Amino acid sequence: MKTLKKIILAITVIIFAACEDVVDVEVQEGPKRLVVEASLDWEKGTDGNVQTIRLRESTPFFNTNANTEVTGASVVVTNDDNGATYNFEDQGNGEYLTTNFEPVLGQTYSLRIEYNGEVYTAKETMTPVTDITNVFQDRKDGFDDEVLEVHVVFTDPEEEGNHYLFKFQRDGDLLPDLEEGKDEFLNGNEIDWWYEIEEDDNTEIEPFKPGDVVNIGMYGISKSYYDYIKILISQLGGVGLFESTPVDVKGNCINTTNPENYAFGYFRLSQVVKTSYTFVED
Amino acid sequence: MNSKSQLNPISKCTVWLLWSLFLGCMSAIGQTSHTISGTITDKSNGETLFGASVFLSGTTIGGVTNEYGFYSVTAPEGKYVLSISYMGYNEVNIEIDLNHDMVHDVEISEFSTALEEVVVMADEPERAILRKPEMSVVKMNIGTVKQMPVVLGELDVLKSLQMLPGVTNNGEGTGGFHVRGGAQDQNLVLLDEAIIYNTSHMFRFFSVFNADAIKDVKLYKGGIPASFGGRVSSVLDIRQKDGNSKNFELNGGIGVISSRLTAEGPVFGDKGSFLIAGRRSYVDLLLKAAGDENSVSFYDLNLKTNYSINRNNKLFLSGYFGRDAFKLGSSFDSSYGNSTGNLRWNHIFNDRLFSNLSAILSRYDYDLEFAQDEFEWLSSITNYNLKYDFKYYLSDAFKLDFGANGIYYDFNPGEVNPTAETSPVNPLKLDQKKALESGLYVSAEHKLSPKLTAQYGLRYSAFSRFGGQPISTYANNRPVVYNPELGIYERGEATGETNFDKGDVIETFGNIEPRVSLAYLLNEESSIKAGYSRTAQYIHLLSNTSSVTPLDVWTPSGPFIKPQLSNQYALGYFHNFKDMVYSLEVETYYKTVDNRIDYIDGSDLIGQNTIETEILNGEMRAYGLELLLRKNEGDFTGWIAYTLSKSEQRTLGGTAGGPGINNGNWYNASFDRTHDISLSGAYQLNDQWSFGTNLVFQTGRPVTYPNGQYVYEDLSIASYAPRNSDRLPAYHRMDVSINYKPRKYQNKRFKGEWVFSVYNLYSRKNAASISFGQNLETGANEATRTAIFGIVPSLTYNFKF
Repeated sequence: MKTLKKIILAITVIIFAACEDVVDVEVQEGPKRLVVEASLDWEKGTDGNVQTIRLRESTPFFNTNANTEVTGASVVVTNDDNGATYNFEDQGNGEYLTTNFEPVLGQTYSLRIEYNGEVYTAKETMTPVTDITNVFQDRKDGFDDEVLEVHVVFTDPEEEGNHYLFKFQRDGDLLPDLEEGKDEFLNGNEIDWWYEIEEDDNTEIEPFKPGDVVNIGMYGISKSYYDYIKILISQLGGVGLFESTPVDVKGNCINTTNPENYAFGYFRLSQVVKTSYTFVED
Repeated sequence: MNSKSQLNPISKCTVWLLWSLFLGCMSAIGQTSHTISGTITDKSNGETLFGASVFLSGTTIGGVTNEYGFYSVTAPEGKYVLSISYMGYNEVNIEIDLNHDMVHDVEISEFSTALEEVVVMADEPERAILRKPEMSVVKMNIGTVKQMPVVLGELDVLKSLQMLPGVTNNGEGTGGFHVRGGAQDQNLVLLDEAIIYNTSHMFRFFSVFNADAIKDVKLYKGGIPASFGGRVSSVLDIRQKDGNSKNFELNGGIGVISSRLTAEGPVFGDKGSFLIAGRRSYVDLLLKAAGDENSVSFYDLNLKTNYSINRNNKLFLSGYFGRDAFKLGSSFDSSYGNSTGNLRWNHIFNDRLFSNLSAILSRYDYDLEFAQDEFEWLSSITNYNLKYDFKYYLSDAFKLDFGANGIYYDFNPGEVNPTAETSPVNPLKLDQKKALESGLYVSAEHKLSPKLTAQYGLRYSAFSRFGGQPISTYANNRPVVYNPELGIYERGEATGETNFDKGDVIETFGNIEPRVSLAYLLNEESSIKAGYSRTAQYIHLLSNTSSVTPLDVWTPSGPFIKPQLSNQYALGYFHNFKDMVYSLEVETYYKTVDNRIDYIDGSDLIGQNTIETEILNGEMRAYGLELLLRKNEGDFTGWIAYTLSKSEQRTLGGTAGGPGINNGNWYNASFDRTHDISLSGAYQLNDQWSFGTNLVFQTGRPVTYPNGQYVYEDLSIASYAPRNSDRLPAYHRMDVSINYKPRKYQNKRFKGEWVFSVYNLYSRKNAASISFGQNLETGANEATRTAIFGIVPSLTYNFKF
């Protein structure tokens, strides 16, 4: 139902666009928390041995100081069936690296982080993803039928309950765009997922044009990660009148020492297919 | 203690009420008196007048006309002067010799006729009403609405009501309204008795009520009479005009956004009249002319006709059809709207017993078409309502209202139909839900002493949810489960389904709803009043957005959603002073609502067949103080309204476990306003020029702002403060209007009038919302304010002939 949500957003934008401006607002300052970006992404066709986990700290909302890396933590991932453990080495820059991870589809893994005398744990299953069968460009779809969009075509597997995360980023753009999907209304069908960049008077960001390269990632994700990332994505770029009251999104990393001091972020294990597309003159 | 002897407060109240009713009926027996009854109408157009005072001069005997202009006054034999008064009308006094039961239909005329409604702010009903126990009620005549400045030249009943204490909105550009800290779906909105489910056009910029077709507007903020039921916060009772029964008349207006035309006149000889009013916006035509592919438009149509079979029998047929359309290029097309119809039969059994039977249909539906994904999405709610109401004028001291009604609901929460074979979307139909809501009531208005009047009544309401659909079952009967490790609410594990056939009743609810109010006259200028009411609401609007959208869906109570139950207590002081030129009304209230649903984090309501997995049952409480000071007469008229209030919500984990939403703490309702000050004034310079102004100041609406950020997936993610613990900046604005009636029309049949108005004169950028996000170019976090209206001037030309 991404379409419906986008429509409501578009309605809001069309009516209100003319009267938006950036203002100074005072906000509250919440507690500082550990941020776990433990995304063990296994690209199809690779061995997936090299994996990185990033640890950071949260900051006040308008803080521009980016010095948030967490060092000195111990980070271990365990295969729940055979007990194999993978130590992630502290790289001194907030990154923790392993080179001998062995991904197995459908396998459950556990994450254990020890930091500042507190222990954080999480559990997640490596989720498979189907193949992308076609990538092409067009103009007629999307909200604006004049701008270029990229289409990602794939066939949803027979069994119900597949969840997807899409990551699109144009070469040269500062930020990626995330979209989530599920097969609830589309189970087993061939799905044509499009992505376009709309014209926005408030920024210099322009729609796709011939010569642009867009990088595409399609991740197989678990139901619980879908629930998590869906809220997170819906709150990106702010929450307007027609959207739900924003909430603190809680991930799956539990602080077993002091549950109140929970961590942000997620321990995710995903199979991913990556591709890129160069727009041509049409 | 023997528990059997203990009655709960509701039962106690019920017993007391029944006993009082019995005593009241007994008191009326054995007196030798006669009755005078009849209908009060406007001399110029034959419209019946609702709320006109009919009194025997020099006594306290009398009352007011009902919705159909009918009155009945019973007094001991004797000679009297029957005095009839109504706001803006000349008082009529008729000498009568009451020695037998008699019928007197009276026509009364306005102070000044035609388009000069502007001056009419005088006389009894717009003053504080002292004797009647009726409190927490706002009655607005359309003349008052017409003299207030408006946005884009569109008269708007709902916006005018928001200038009064206790009524507010959820931010600019929101067409709905909130009463005494209640939610939008807790208002029962009736147009000629038919339920209106969506009160606004064009994404809530305009109300669906065309002021030209409306006779009067009555809002019950509390003390809801027992004849109404089904919503816990308020009743907005809007009545359409019957149509001019004397002359054919054409009214119209040409505005910036839309134009309207109303035709009315006599039909069936002198036996009836009709009214047809139409309104259409033309933004879409302008967009089309400008080559824009997007389009937005609305229209509505009001119809009414009536036929008098004889003195004691009259038929009314009324209808409303409104539709909005919104088109986004070639990819998306949508439309939504209300349709209603009502056939009524007024029957006067005798000079003391009046009755009305209504058969009412209402429907709200929307249709979304997604051209590129090749599917359409439909949703609707339809109800059929049969209602029989009686008013029995037993004696001057005792009047009885009683009746029954049944509403059959048909809910279509959503269906998806592929529109082409190549559509990637599978067809889907959510469970169709059916229910019957019925009510039985009796209510008395009882003059206990010359100074003390009581209004007390009981409503028994019942709700049956019918089968024809499966109901999911869950492990441990818990559709929502708290995950203590992650600290979040998750959907429960479905274990199967129970199938209910069409004839089956899935669940039945019943509630006794006592309503009591008292008025005590302190002296000829002031009175105090107190009231208690209990109300039940069986259908709920599902909306997890901070503001209601036209796409939200209604759902009935059932195995997992309980009826909302409300108790409201109110106390008031009413005072008229300086020869009744000024009036002061002060009221305080305290209100609780049980079983108010709220939504778990990340709830998904679109296309959701099992709503119970997305919600938790919570509660609301609201309290406040309302002040209204009015100047009712003179060249300058107007009012100052001030409301100090608090509205909160709390949702505990309940059977799902865990602390609940927002950690189980109370949080501000999104429409809570601590301070709300409105000033409305009108000045009549001469018969050509008049001026109006509005001044509004409100505490900003509660919102949830970020309280931190972190980097995840190369993006800055905001973490959020507790729910609704921040506030938007204060809202304020000033509007002005100028009315000009050219002198050349003054003695002609054709009358014209120019209305120039400026909304938000000093162009304050009031924030409708502030959203927080990352600047796409710099990556820095920023706050973006959305303001809907800057300064909005508009010009409208109204005509009549």
